[in-house]
Amino acid sequence: MWTTFLISLKVSLRNRTALFWMLLFPIVLATMFNGMLGGLSDGYETRPVPMVVVADANWNKAPVTRAFVDALAGKASDSEAIVETTGTTGATGQTLLTVTEADSPEDARKLLADGTAKGYLTADDGGRLAITLSRAAVSAIAAGSTSDPGLGVSVAALNTVTDLYNRADAVARRTLADNPQAALSRSFWNAVGSAGTPMTREVSLTNAKPDATARYFYALLAMNCLMAMSYAVGAVNATQANLSALGIRRTVAPLRRSSQLLAGFLACWLCSFAALLIALAYIRYVCGVGIGGHEPQAVLAVAVASFMANSAGTLLGAIPKLSADAKTALTSAISCALSLFTGLYGGFAMQLSDWIARNAPALGLINPAQQVVNLFYSLMYYDGYGPFVRTCVTLLAMSALFLAGGVALLRRQRYEHL
Amino acid sequence: MNGNAATTAATTPAEAVKVSGLVKRYGDLVALDYFDLDVHAGEIFGLLGPNGSGKTTAINCILALLAYDAGTIRVFGEPMTPTSYALKRRIGVVPQNVAVFKELTVEENIDYFCSLYVPRRADRAPLVEEAIDFVDLRGFRKFRPGKLSGGLLRRLNIACGIAHKPDLIFFDEPTVAVDPQSRNAILEGIERLNRAGATVVYTSHYMEEVEQICDRILIMDHGRHLALGTADELKGMIDMGERISVETLDLPDPALDRIRTLPFVIEAAYDGRELDVRCRRGDHNLVDLLTALREARANVGHLTSRPPTLNDVFLELTGKALRD
Repeated sequence: MWTTFLISLKVSLRNRTALFWMLLFPIVLATMFNGMLGGLSDGYETRPVPMVVVADANWNKAPVTRAFVDALAGKASDSEAIVETTGTTGATGQTLLTVTEADSPEDARKLLADGTAKGYLTADDGGRLAITLSRAAVSAIAAGSTSDPGLGVSVAALNTVTDLYNRADAVARRTLADNPQAALSRSFWNAVGSAGTPMTREVSLTNAKPDATARYFYALLAMNCLMAMSYAVGAVNATQANLSALGIRRTVAPLRRSSQLLAGFLACWLCSFAALLIALAYIRYVCGVGIGGHEPQAVLAVAVASFMANSAGTLLGAIPKLSADAKTALTSAISCALSLFTGLYGGFAMQLSDWIARNAPALGLINPAQQVVNLFYSLMYYDGYGPFVRTCVTLLAMSALFLAGGVALLRRQRYEHL
Repeated sequence: MNGNAATTAATTPAEAVKVSGLVKRYGDLVALDYFDLDVHAGEIFGLLGPNGSGKTTAINCILALLAYDAGTIRVFGEPMTPTSYALKRRIGVVPQNVAVFKELTVEENIDYFCSLYVPRRADRAPLVEEAIDFVDLRGFRKFRPGKLSGGLLRRLNIACGIAHKPDLIFFDEPTVAVDPQSRNAILEGIERLNRAGATVVYTSHYMEEVEQICDRILIMDHGRHLALGTADELKGMIDMGERISVETLDLPDPALDRIRTLPFVIEAAYDGRELDVRCRRGDHNLVDLLTALREARANVGHLTSRPPTLNDVFLELTGKALRD
């Protein structure tokens, strides 16, 4: 049996077709994903928004507002200390806008029209800021344009800090109007300075920072895992006398069929485990897709996933009255079909996957590809190992079912035709 | 060969394979119809039959590859079943289609298939070397099957089936699509295996091969046993003597008609250049034919007379109708 194991391993490692599908295909696809989906994560990063400031009379008589906008633009200001106390740019050190000055709203609109800026800022007679966006910017944000990655997030951030400034300013002015003595109190100014702090606090709801692209890579790993079924299908075919001349030679040999099947299964499992591990390493370290810092557990996930795939392959390989070619085609068809429901094929598939998760979770539960995706998801987003262990158990239960079916079919088999 | 052969031979001296009343049906089609077979230990046994006659089905049943409907099969005196591992250890099979791993080298293939019978590497290594030498593939041991010619592939196929030194070897048309040199080497190899003590069951469509190497021959058709014996015994079973060919350019039709009426003539054909006559058994056929030609004043050129061949026997027993 040991020799059969080694030979099965050797045969699998020298099988160029299998190597292509198991090694090259996921690496090529992951590279493509990395190129195509890079813009998706860019869309979640803030970038300085080109804005026009209407430098009219109101603007010129509002030094604090000017200092605030200068700070948002990353410029040094005499009043920086005042701005720092608002907790807007100081906390992140990020520049939220670039500034071009115009004398009037009409001039500002001209600059918007020629594309110099995305919007303009005006100050009212009380120094309160208002943002006006160009029609083009509004359309780009609504359409999620890839030519302006991050515009929506950046404008939202700019709007938030501007609103915060306006509210803090209004509260301070009203308090001073009601109680002028408050201006002498340090605690009052401290309270004004920390106005935004309790309202905007960054909290982490997941184990790792969400990554919109990770889902595609996990779906790719799931498809790659299902493709590994072909290893086991091939191994079972090679022991069946009605499917190959090799099967005849092995069936007439005195080594028990169960030993041959077991050796083949272990070799296929090891091969697919290694291939998936390489794909995972590429996705993790070359494409930079995170697994929530749970790399050792991800290796266990790959072991469980590849075990399930080979169990399913054993069942497919054991189906009677199907030719070897038909089984190979069936393997590819199943892999592609089940991957659809993991969202691998783009936006529509993602929506379908989400719909299934919300409305028909049982379908997701019985989809091995979805369960493989869930393995990595649970590592990425959950603090504890509960969901990961539950998914492992689900996949192992599936494996047991597949293996039991495969063994039952193989045990009953007695050839009527060769 | 291993010691098991001698032990078994002591208890069942002459029986390597015994098949009685074997019936195998594929739906309405009867592939084996109460088929009987006896292969004596130590002989080369030829199994002949047209396509679809049931040869391969019979072998597959004997090897416990196929389930069958009725009958008994015993190998070395013991019932043959899918789990007769001790018996399987003594059997070698060279299938009609080349059955090797294309990903493995010649040496790795032979070693692997030998390992199914001889698990210990130390015991196996000399057997593998011997098998490589036996089929003369020493210069190709690191080659993969894709780089081998058809003849070399056939030799590899044989090496994979005989490396473990079986007592009983089934060769299913091992010389299909090989050149005359390779064919000759394969036939010589089979005879050497037999001389070393192996019992051989050999199927082929090439009559001259079967006649050359087989001690006894069974002709079967429609799943039934038609005739069994040595090549000479089989030739003696049909009412056919020699076949005489005479070169003559001026044989008139009345003379041809006269020849056809001669009592020893089964069939006579003339194509304007050569007269071909199939004769019944007789001591004076040639003299009588020449007399008839002289009487017809035909000029006789080159003349050949050859005894009946196994091919004649085969066609006589199985008919000349085309098979699939």
